[in-house]
Amino acid sequence: MKKCKLENLIDEYLFDRLDETQKESFEEHYFSCHQCFEKLEEKNEMIAVIKTKGDEIFQDVYAPTKIRRSWLDSVLAFLTPRQWAMAAVSAALILVVSIGVIPNLKTSTPEFFINDDLVRGSSITLISPMIDNLEQIPSEFRWQSLGENTEYKLFIFHQEELLWSTTTEENFVTLSENIKSLMAPGKKYSWQVKAFSPEGTLIAVSSRVQFNFLSSK
Amino acid sequence: MEKRKKDSDIDAIVAKYRPVVSFRVKKSIGVQTPDWEDVVNEIMINVVEKLKKGEFRGDSSVGTFIYTITSRRIIDFIRKKSKVLKHAPEPNPYLSPHEHVENRERAQWIADSIKRLKPKYREVLFLYYYQELSREEVAKKLKISPRRVSERVNYAQKLLRKVMKE
Repeated sequence: MKKCKLENLIDEYLFDRLDETQKESFEEHYFSCHQCFEKLEEKNEMIAVIKTKGDEIFQDVYAPTKIRRSWLDSVLAFLTPRQWAMAAVSAALILVVSIGVIPNLKTSTPEFFINDDLVRGSSITLISPMIDNLEQIPSEFRWQSLGENTEYKLFIFHQEELLWSTTTEENFVTLSENIKSLMAPGKKYSWQVKAFSPEGTLIAVSSRVQFNFLSSK
Repeated sequence: MEKRKKDSDIDAIVAKYRPVVSFRVKKSIGVQTPDWEDVVNEIMINVVEKLKKGEFRGDSSVGTFIYTITSRRIIDFIRKKSKVLKHAPEPNPYLSPHEHVENRERAQWIADSIKRLKPKYREVLFLYYYQELSREEVAKKLKISPRRVSERVNYAQKLLRKVMKE
């Protein structure tokens, strides 16, 4: 079956990156194009799983290691998830120590390191706001703390543009009235948190979660 | 030209379009409350009524016809909801509208399959879908071309599609 030309819009649509006209036009399209709708449903499900189970799925993408990839593949298949859970804690400790001590890690396969951002530890679990169509503008953004001596940067985006960001050592930020006045009902926003060590190294990044609110009261 | 649709045709249309309408409605108004199911039912009833009455003129496709009804209903619903600001109970933070995974077992099955993918596919899924970086940003981080990023993302999805269809 020939590929539908509009298939590439699926990702953009699911991430709310299309403008209003494109969005409506694509929505009308998948009502008629069964091929696109099927792919859309599949992709949506895949993204849903990735977003909700991301911490679990991508644990090893976070933990840089000197182990060559082919060996890593067989190791991953070797243990059961439960065994991995138990091994992960001890492994993480060992890796953190090795990274600090072994300088030639920089020459390992670049694909395992998120470029110059050395990522270790676990991802940041966001707590709230986690849903769309909130009734009011959220006053507080909260996430799970990664422990002592962590600095967090909160980013709030309007569509793709950065609207505002702030730094804190707490695991939450309360919005002032000034900041709240920057946002309007109905518009699409998203937020994300990055964690830094005291020296300023990036430790972890959360996923980006969308939100919008219906009334400014 | 036959303007009214036969009952069996109408059943077929309902069966075919209910999932599409459900998807659109869930995406627009969320799945936290059971409202979405009511909205979908109202839309399907409306569609059947109009088909039986012969209101569908056949100059656009059935899909577009149903799309139009769906859009209107969603707008009406959102307008109604915005006016009535009831105090909502504390929402479950892990159920976000289009990120709601309905079947836990199936979700775990898919998650396990993703874990079994080769690292280079998991990396792109992580950066592109979990962190929602753009193609270009992912390319920069992994030191590959944006085109290769797309290829890997598409291929990863192809591999998973086989699994998800089981």
